[in-house]
Amino acid sequence: MLTIYHWEPNANSGKPMLAAFEKGVEFESRYIDMLSFEQHAPAYLQVNPNGTIPGMVHDGVLVPESTVMMEYIDASFAGPPLRPSDPFERWRMRWWCRFFDQFVGPSISMFGWSFFVGPAVRQRDPQELKARIEQIPLKERRIAWSKAIYGTFSPEEMAESGRRIALGVQHLEAALTERPWVAGDSYSIADISGFNMFAGLPLMNPQVANDSVTPHLMEWLRKINERPATRKLLPLGRTDLMRRYGHLERKRS
Amino acid sequence: MLELYHWEPNGSWLKPLIALHEKGLDFRSHYFDALSLERYGPGFLQASRETQLNLEGEGPVLCHDGHQVTESLFIAEYLEDAFPASPLRPEEPLGQAQILALARFINEVFMPAANTLGCHVYLAPQLKGRDLTSLEVLLEKIPLPFLQEQWRLALTDRYSDELIEDSKRKILLAVRRFEATLSSSPWLVGSAYSLADIDAFSICNSLPTLVPDLVSDVTAPRLMEWLTRIRMRPAVRAALAMSRTGKPELAFAPGPEHSRWG
Repeated sequence: MLTIYHWEPNANSGKPMLAAFEKGVEFESRYIDMLSFEQHAPAYLQVNPNGTIPGMVHDGVLVPESTVMMEYIDASFAGPPLRPSDPFERWRMRWWCRFFDQFVGPSISMFGWSFFVGPAVRQRDPQELKARIEQIPLKERRIAWSKAIYGTFSPEEMAESGRRIALGVQHLEAALTERPWVAGDSYSIADISGFNMFAGLPLMNPQVANDSVTPHLMEWLRKINERPATRKLLPLGRTDLMRRYGHLERKRS
Repeated sequence: MLELYHWEPNGSWLKPLIALHEKGLDFRSHYFDALSLERYGPGFLQASRETQLNLEGEGPVLCHDGHQVTESLFIAEYLEDAFPASPLRPEEPLGQAQILALARFINEVFMPAANTLGCHVYLAPQLKGRDLTSLEVLLEKIPLPFLQEQWRLALTDRYSDELIEDSKRKILLAVRRFEATLSSSPWLVGSAYSLADIDAFSICNSLPTLVPDLVSDVTAPRLMEWLTRIRMRPAVRAALAMSRTGKPELAFAPGPEHSRWG
């Protein structure tokens, strides 16, 4: 039995679910309302003591890290492979996953948290928010949450994040000019990871990702958005965050 | 033909060297001096896109069949995928996943912390008195701005007390995690020696010298025993014997950055 604890089906939460849909693996979806801090509540901390989402439990065992969950799903279940069999392409898949997770991802999150998550929780009672922050198990997450809630990402930090997003997009566009998918000739978890990270970018940073500057990136996002598995993923959202995927629909001429 | 570009057998350079020796693979060693920044000058490997954007900074590069493979743990994973004999990974998906999850923690928390202290204690003093203007020409060729900044930090040795303290906190976090795992198992993942041990060992090997107050027989007895057990392996001896300075545990150069989330 596979259970995935997730918030909105994008960013890290979207990764294991999209991998499962691509493989045709059934799973139990447990929605964790991040804006109500359910991920730091005792019930969820019993499942994942770090209080991070997504969380994935397979036959009673917790599988850590969203990118690793995708590798695990691919290795554990039958269905179309999501990792290239060629060793070099498989390495390239892992390389890009790390580049997304550790270089581009945190920068995109900073924009997302600053414009969406922060304002969404800020109107709550300040005392309650303070208590919520103190409850967070990992120091890094406490700092990130307080910056998002109090809107204290510095202009320098935001500018640096903007530069990193632009650099990441520029190289991803170049890579997608050379090959159809991130790792090579086949769709892989590097594409799933990238889609979950970049799908909202044309709306959030339209000057960086658009049809004239990054045509290959836009086509890649649209192709993934059209996949049957992606169509199953998006309805799992409950906030209007997910409506933004409408911008990836092709216009009928 | 396998060719590995590496510096002293420590940290990220040590990982693929151990994996190659453990698997008994023939390879050509290309030793480079990270301190001279020669990899950014003419005559060095023409870097692929992924090599240019290598988050491990001065880390090793494996060349195989015309491809460049970077990121020390991913080089070892590549060797497993390309040469499955003498496996260093468990067969079951959970063990494989645990190796990759540990690698993420090492890359993002443990290695940046060890590297910051190592660069402060060993690299910065060696860079004192270098001609900044000529080095600046080479630094400008580094495509990732954070790596340029790490080199400038080492050149000026302006590590803040806050950064040093935070690095010690992260090292302690890692040491406690390893110590806890090793209290119930001889190895970090599953019941056998694996890439997880190679990954962690490559960073831990210098700690008793670098931070003796944090890593000693008193503070981390199981970790110390585990270090000794791994150092005795023929493949690890062979890898460490590739040192040219005789003190590989003192070799540090700018590498992965601290997480920007705090």
